[in-house]
Amino acid sequence: MSDEASTSGSESDESGETNGSDSLVERGRRGVAAWFADAGLTGYLGVFTLAVAVATTVFGLLVPESLPGAIVAILLSEGTLAATLRRTVPIAFAALGGIFAEKAGVINIGLEGLLIVSAFVAAAAAHFLGSVWLGLAAGVLASVLLALLFAVACIEFRADQIIAGLAIWLIALGLAPFASVVFFGSKNTPTIDSFGTITIPILSELPVVGAVFDASPMVFLLFVAVAGSWWLLNRTTFGRWVRASGENPDALDTAGVNVSRVRYAAVTLSGLLAGIGGAALSISLRGFTGNGPTMVNGRGFIAIVTYLFGNYDPIGALLSTMLFTSLTQLQLELQASGVLSVPSSLVRTIPFLTVIVVLALFGKTRIPAAAGDHFESGEE
Amino acid sequence: MSDADDSSGWRGRVTRVLDRLTSASARERLAISLSALVLSVAVGAVLIYGAGLATTCRRAAFLGSCYDPFVVYDQLFFRSFGNLLADPTNPKAATTLGEATILVCTGLSVAVAFKAGVFNIGTQGQLVVGALATAVVTYAVSQTLAGPLATVVSLPVGVLTGAVTGGLYGAIPGALKAYADANEVITTIMLNFVATNLALFAVQAAFKDPESVATQTRRLPAFAQFPRVVFPETADFSIVALALAVTLAVAAAYLLAATAFGYDVRTSGLQSAAAEYGGVDAKRTTVAAMTLSGALGGVGGAIYVLMKLGNFQTNVPAYGFDGITVTILAGNNPLGVLAAGLLFGVLKSGSINVSVATDVPPELVGVIRGLIVLFVAMPEFFRLIARRYTSDDSPGETAVTDGGRPTDDERPGSDDRPTDDGRSTDDTQGGTERPPDGDTGSDDGGVSP
Repeated sequence: MSDEASTSGSESDESGETNGSDSLVERGRRGVAAWFADAGLTGYLGVFTLAVAVATTVFGLLVPESLPGAIVAILLSEGTLAATLRRTVPIAFAALGGIFAEKAGVINIGLEGLLIVSAFVAAAAAHFLGSVWLGLAAGVLASVLLALLFAVACIEFRADQIIAGLAIWLIALGLAPFASVVFFGSKNTPTIDSFGTITIPILSELPVVGAVFDASPMVFLLFVAVAGSWWLLNRTTFGRWVRASGENPDALDTAGVNVSRVRYAAVTLSGLLAGIGGAALSISLRGFTGNGPTMVNGRGFIAIVTYLFGNYDPIGALLSTMLFTSLTQLQLELQASGVLSVPSSLVRTIPFLTVIVVLALFGKTRIPAAAGDHFESGEE
Repeated sequence: MSDADDSSGWRGRVTRVLDRLTSASARERLAISLSALVLSVAVGAVLIYGAGLATTCRRAAFLGSCYDPFVVYDQLFFRSFGNLLADPTNPKAATTLGEATILVCTGLSVAVAFKAGVFNIGTQGQLVVGALATAVVTYAVSQTLAGPLATVVSLPVGVLTGAVTGGLYGAIPGALKAYADANEVITTIMLNFVATNLALFAVQAAFKDPESVATQTRRLPAFAQFPRVVFPETADFSIVALALAVTLAVAAAYLLAATAFGYDVRTSGLQSAAAEYGGVDAKRTTVAAMTLSGALGGVGGAIYVLMKLGNFQTNVPAYGFDGITVTILAGNNPLGVLAAGLLFGVLKSGSINVSVATDVPPELVGVIRGLIVLFVAMPEFFRLIARRYTSDDSPGETAVTDGGRPTDDERPGSDDRPTDDGRSTDDTQGGTERPPDGDTGSDDGGVSP
């Protein structure tokens, strides 16, 4: 369908990779140009969506009482931005983790499991230790340990990454409710304290974007993590090793770097980042709920899609996560304000359907060449 | 093998690879599955013991722990058939066999897709939509029927409805993978969430039983459900349904092993590029395999409704996810699915016994399920242990655990060695442009006999 469009898209990516001086803007410009040149279905749909969005905004601003008017009002309200940021935190942290693992050549489909375990352990530890920060630390530790188990299975024992990742999810899906019943007699943990908010004077008074400066510490931590991840991946030796380990592990091996060790580090890092996300989720919602798919409810899988959509770039992953969560938030607010009256069971399918549509249209991102493959050094 | 050598080109080569994989590793796979099971149970025992230490109770049951792992496992594994000598059709045995019947269907569903190189995590969703459609259509049909032949008409209609609905729902991720390169692992998981919510919506909006407070469809008349035959009317198990599941397993084994379609499925699963070269339409095969897989999941849903419940209820147990474990444990072998399905039937009904007889949370079974998947996924772990504990002087033993495959030392520099079933999913990952040579076929083909 969009074969040509995506091929040329990935070509421009590769050239961006080789002469690293290319700016993000330049790469984006060329990507857009290539889209239009090929004018595949993807391009048309993109233009169409953009046109609809612009038309809605203009119409909404002119006629505030209409449905587009309501949409624009919701989008511009501070509450929407604040809620969107809150929803973004767990998914974006998991996505950052997924980027490191997959860039290093290990497809971490177990992100969902890491989120579940860290969400539970963080809530339980916060309850017993009486401190949300100790809870956060415990949640991250649990996630790192589970990620290490995954790493040992994949790297040391050459497990199929997809099956092992699935196992990590299934283990967490059983373990968290099991432990919750053992400790609390219920699949849900007791209510715990939440993080406070950090308010930056003056900036938080700004219209529309003020919510960014009056938010949970986790939101600020996310911005730091995104910037740090970008820097680590693109500007450090470690980042170069990670990328080489996913693209051409033989070359990295020849250069004398231990590929396994790089992959271990990357997967551990993905456990750390996903752990922060899971802990932030349960602590900000003041407890863990473990019924059915647990409170994580597919966020780990959504994270995989957002970093694919963000083309393995930490900033791209943050932006695509925010796009996704703002859409979710928008429909929730439309629902709450009575503008739309669609049953909630149907509304809940929207994020999942969005993921499927996004994957179908943009699924052809260029994944690291050696992702999913086991690497073995010639010398043993 | 020698026959395959005569036929030149890709087709011969692929056949050779298939032969090698299936014959050489059958015993090894069985050994790995059994070892994984034992190891999971052992880790589970440690978990039970540890959990017992963490809780408080009046009197410790086992070495200072509140939970006794032996009691738990006794309930989990050995009480699932009740007292067979006194009453072979006792309720516990019926529950175990009933669970096993559904799990065989979901296990087959995952296995068929797996053979085609498609990782169908969406059996759960396909089962849910199949179950709902079966409940709704069967109810409508049963209202128009009466008399002794009513069952003969209504039952096939119900099962077929489940199969068709599940099949269509499975075809969606199949088509998305084949024609839009969307990673089926993600799309099927998303479609599970969608199915659950859609079913909830459909029941609330249209098909709810007006006489019940619960979110469920109207009760089906007894004649529209699977006849109990040997078992008492109250049992949630039917021999007829079990016979259907066994027939499906045998049919799937035959289909995959001895038909042209089965050949297409297996080759596109092992090496899609080679399959294309050999004249297989890999895209169409992917969609067909996913449709078949979804249909089998849908039949599982139909049996769930027509044998166990008698209507559709929105809180569907995780049969689809257990199906993944069943398949992985069975090494994707449809006949192996029968054995693994029975084992999981035991576990499922055993978890009920555990929650009745002990204080241990029945969620334990979920943990063991995950552990089994993890351990089966890492055959190298067991090979390593086998190598460590079998001395080099006894090549016979090593050959068994190693599946007669060359060891590391004999094949330096081969970093893409074919391992087990996991390899067949290689080109499913990411659904993107992966070099075709990273797969099983090319590596094995390089070793000329």
